[in-house]
Amino acid sequence: MLKGKKSLKVALATVTATVLAGGLLTGCAPANAGGTITYLTNAESWTHADPQRNYTGMHIAWFGSYLQRTLTAYDRAEGAAGSAVVPDLATDTGRSSNGNKTWEFTLRDGVTFEDGSPITCEDIKYGVSRTFATDIITDGPTYAIGMLDIPSAEDGSSTYKGPYSTDAANDTASFDKAITCSEDSKTITFNLKRAVGDFNYTVTYLSFSPVPKAKDDGDQYDMHPVSTGPYKIKSYKVNDSMVLVRNDKWNGSSDPLRANRAFPDKVVVKFGQAEEVRDQIILADKDKTAVSLDAILPTNLSAVFDDEGNVLEKYKGRALNVYDPYVRYAAVNVKKLNCLPVRQAIYYAKNFDSLITLAGGQAFNGDAADGVIKPLMGLDYAKTGYATDDKDWKPEGNIEKAKALMEQAKTECPALYARATDPKQGIFYDIPDTETNKKASAIWIESMEAIGVTMKFNYIEPGKYYSVVLDATKQGDLSSGGWAPDWANASTVIPELFTAEGGFPMSQNWEDPAYAEFKKRSDANLTEPDRKKQGAEWAALNKYAMDQMWVIPGVFSKTQEMWGSKIGGAYFWEPQGALSFGDLNIIK
Amino acid sequence: MSLLSVRDLRVEFKTPDGVVKAVAGVTFDLQAGETLAIVGESGSGKSVTNLAYMGLLPTSRTTITGSVILKTDQGEVDLIGMSNDELRKIRGKDVAMIFQDPMSALHPYYSIGDQLIEAHQVHNEVDKKVSRDRAIELLTLVGVANPDERMAAYPHQFSGGMRQRVMIAMALMNNPKVLIADEPTTALDVTVQAQILKLLRDIQTQFQMAVILITHDLGVVAGAADRVNVMYGGRLVESATVNDLYENPMMPYTVGLLDSIPRMDQGHGKRLRAIPGQPPSLIKLGDGCAFAARCSRKSELPSGTCDSSPELKAVAPNHLVRCHLYDSKEKVK
Amino acid sequence: MNGLVAYISRRIGITLLILLAVSFTVYLIFALLPYDPASLTCGKNCNDPGIIEANRKRLGYDKPFFEQYWVFLVGLFAGRTFGEGAATIYCAAPSFGYSFQQHACVTDLIFDAIPVTIALAVGSLILWLVVGVGLGIIAAKYRGKIWDTLSTAFVLIGTSLPTFLTGLILIVFLVIKVDWSPFPAGGYTAPDEDIGGWFLSMVLPWVTLAFAYSAIYTRFVRSQILEISTEDFIRTARAKGLSDGVILGKHTLRAAMAPIVTMAGLDFAGLLGGAILTEAVFNLPGMGRLSLNAVVDIDLPVIVGTTILAAAIVVIMNMILDIVYAFIDPRVRV
Repeated sequence: MLKGKKSLKVALATVTATVLAGGLLTGCAPANAGGTITYLTNAESWTHADPQRNYTGMHIAWFGSYLQRTLTAYDRAEGAAGSAVVPDLATDTGRSSNGNKTWEFTLRDGVTFEDGSPITCEDIKYGVSRTFATDIITDGPTYAIGMLDIPSAEDGSSTYKGPYSTDAANDTASFDKAITCSEDSKTITFNLKRAVGDFNYTVTYLSFSPVPKAKDDGDQYDMHPVSTGPYKIKSYKVNDSMVLVRNDKWNGSSDPLRANRAFPDKVVVKFGQAEEVRDQIILADKDKTAVSLDAILPTNLSAVFDDEGNVLEKYKGRALNVYDPYVRYAAVNVKKLNCLPVRQAIYYAKNFDSLITLAGGQAFNGDAADGVIKPLMGLDYAKTGYATDDKDWKPEGNIEKAKALMEQAKTECPALYARATDPKQGIFYDIPDTETNKKASAIWIESMEAIGVTMKFNYIEPGKYYSVVLDATKQGDLSSGGWAPDWANASTVIPELFTAEGGFPMSQNWEDPAYAEFKKRSDANLTEPDRKKQGAEWAALNKYAMDQMWVIPGVFSKTQEMWGSKIGGAYFWEPQGALSFGDLNIIK
Repeated sequence: MSLLSVRDLRVEFKTPDGVVKAVAGVTFDLQAGETLAIVGESGSGKSVTNLAYMGLLPTSRTTITGSVILKTDQGEVDLIGMSNDELRKIRGKDVAMIFQDPMSALHPYYSIGDQLIEAHQVHNEVDKKVSRDRAIELLTLVGVANPDERMAAYPHQFSGGMRQRVMIAMALMNNPKVLIADEPTTALDVTVQAQILKLLRDIQTQFQMAVILITHDLGVVAGAADRVNVMYGGRLVESATVNDLYENPMMPYTVGLLDSIPRMDQGHGKRLRAIPGQPPSLIKLGDGCAFAARCSRKSELPSGTCDSSPELKAVAPNHLVRCHLYDSKEKVK
Repeated sequence: MNGLVAYISRRIGITLLILLAVSFTVYLIFALLPYDPASLTCGKNCNDPGIIEANRKRLGYDKPFFEQYWVFLVGLFAGRTFGEGAATIYCAAPSFGYSFQQHACVTDLIFDAIPVTIALAVGSLILWLVVGVGLGIIAAKYRGKIWDTLSTAFVLIGTSLPTFLTGLILIVFLVIKVDWSPFPAGGYTAPDEDIGGWFLSMVLPWVTLAFAYSAIYTRFVRSQILEISTEDFIRTARAKGLSDGVILGKHTLRAAMAPIVTMAGLDFAGLLGGAILTEAVFNLPGMGRLSLNAVVDIDLPVIVGTTILAAAIVVIMNMILDIVYAFIDPRVRV
């Protein structure tokens, strides 16, 4: 089970890399224009189509490719080059001042909505304002709330409640000061409450995309968002389909990122495909221009890949097995498991081998993780010395080492030791209630029994999982979790997971003696202007968290994708952890 | 020549437990205009005998042999071995039947008018109006009040006795030569029983029909029949005129049946004597006398006598009996 | 005939009362579920108490149960408005509420879904009645013969094969593996858009659903006919000299009609609530998918709406059956 988000950046891409996209790339000859690309998915609809409510990388990649433009965007390129931020609606990748607390973007000429009306600074400002209406515009990222210079109320929420509020006390004045528009409505200025060196990555989020106020009807805007991209929605029916056609008001000259790449004439998403049918259509190449939006069913993996996870000859060029942006782990509730030797004992006793095999094997599930930052993060990653680099670590679990640690715990923290080893009490592990997880829990229980620890499972309905475990009063001792960075900076990982203010604080580690120093270093690193130094420090803090065993590491996970034989231009778009939707075309 | 002549009729059912010899060689004659009662306990074969030659037994596991010659307007025909299609032209026309439970014997979803008319239409190519008039005429005859109106009524709107009257009217639709009445009064109240028996007697005279009255109750036979056939274990065990049988029953089974009838001349408080024991299994029936096990007078015979089955013999004029007690043809005192 | 009119009006009256009780019970059950409807409408991982309270107020979940139910009932007849200000949502009567997960009025979702399910149910009903009753008659008529054995095999396969698998087999072997297959691999085409496409998109779902049901009906009709064949009134019909055809067609089937109509009516009503597996495998956006997704997503207003509707359909179908029954069986009319 994952919470979390999107992107992943690779080493060389930095804030300053402003490679202009578009015509520079090869392999996107207009000859491939035309036709219909059909996406197949088991989902009954998009989780959200409202730009302010899109959060996952796949959704941002899809909507960002076809329908929504933002001030800046990730470049469309394979490998590390894709993680470069390039201008989109803006003329450049933003200009910061005031020690990275003020960011300014200027809109290109000729950018319009699908009805031909020009996109103004006010439209972007209105779009951003919607993210503050957290009671209606749900599920979206809240970076604007966290970063814009707007006071907080006593309960910690923003004093500005968004554009729908009828409350006279709504702090619209502060919002108007936090985002200002130039006279000509061409330049937008963001005033932040703290220094954010990579704010131009933040605005790649669709939550910073424009919305025409006249067309906004709150919750229902999710069904008919207005397009700014090369396509527009012709029809969208839940449980049925979404059809995109060309947006004739879109002007390629104002959109170098997407110009020469808006290949198909029509894009169709078919919702509610039975999973087996969806896979069979692609496997048998029934619809040669179809693309699966979902991961391949585990039972069909062996039809497409060999045991090592390489694509079989038959499917060369139309399947991928790659690392996704996620790291999976068991968050430790440090308040409850307040004893390092116990946490370490769990880590050493854990049977990584069996758990990975259960989830599809290393070739498909991924590798044992040594922390919460994936090696793909480049700058921010360094080996922590855990998992495969730990001489005491064994894939099937090192029971001897774990037992020794439990002996140590017996004297260091007798209370927790007594609870953990008491069959009537034991330690509790929160896990979403799925078939695979039930099997996994049996593996866990066996490993823990070997070191005399009683482990009990709290199976939580998947739909309610995070609302339970994120409630500090309801969380157990360990909670299954997964996280992907929001963009290619571990600033969206380390503080999110391990500080009290973070968006995903499942480790509840702020009473741990080691927290104070950690917090100080993390806060300082957020405003570190030298990206290399910052990366090294994130890597160090990753190791720090591991030394404290604030999470029991899991896997650097993988994902598998598949498409029809007439689809060209497919590659794994790393920053969004998704297929290169915007580059897909029909091979003539 | 009699109207209906049954010769060595045998009916066997194949069951998972073995072959059931339901009727094991029955021979009798029915004369025009007479009422023949066939009496026996359930399982004696009295109903099966008649259902068999009428082709009303399930065909798949049943074997019927022997001959049953019926005199029809087209001459004599053997009902055994007839095709179902030939036989159905006789059913309801030359030979009609009425059954025990008049509620379940009538189709619950059709009006009695529909059912009466249907019975006529199937054998007569006439206008429906003609059949309808005939139905009303017969309903009047059997004593249904307001027959014109009642034609539209459904079986459940009639009392038991009235339903049996409707059944009788239906049987009479085609002026049958033979009416087989299979336990026609068993399901009815005693007072209604008498009315129905009287009705049967009246219409028999009026229509000049032969009637086969099948019953387990010798009591209803007294005023209703001319002759009685007693059946036991799939065979005829005694045959005589009603008076002869009542006055001089010979077979111990017949004696038992008579003793089990409540009679006016018996004092109150005297318990009726039932025949001890159970009817024989028709699967395991051996060569011996089927009644031997229940026979109260077995001891009068030399041992081993009952190991063979007795023959049906005339021991008096028009009085046949199948019993070892009469092997010497002399009545034992 | 007056009796019939009185009977029907009495039956309609009772049905209305039952419907009221059903709606109340369903509403009560969902109120008792351990889910907070307010927190469910504020996004998947919403745990901000302030937002939850705002939602609770906006949607009326802060009111006492009976008031909520009353507002729900009024909404059914008069429509309902949710929220205030710029983000107001209005759902016209009959309003079952608003789904924050699908961003639509529940009634609109149901109106979109139910034609699909009706098309699926009616088509397969016709198919399975023809096949099931036909095979049932043949099996009964040739009892113990080869036709009976073949129909028994059909019954076994039909009743043991899950519809999901039947559908999948049909899709894989008649659509995906066959290049010239005229059928789509799932999906629904609205008949007013393309009637031919609609028909082609429905054929395999009809066959899939009818396959399972015809097996059940074959078995049922066969046993009904055999059972009725032993009835006294059938013996009477034979004693009358009627031919086998007339006996089967007029007497036996007439008597078997009541249970067959009852069963078909209830099965049909059940299907109108949604054929979950068939709709899922063929990707038909009908009631089954609507309810299934609502349950998976804990989309309470949709669950309440579809549950009440499904229950109402069954209750109304029972009423219709009772009335039809009065026409079939004269004994009921008294």
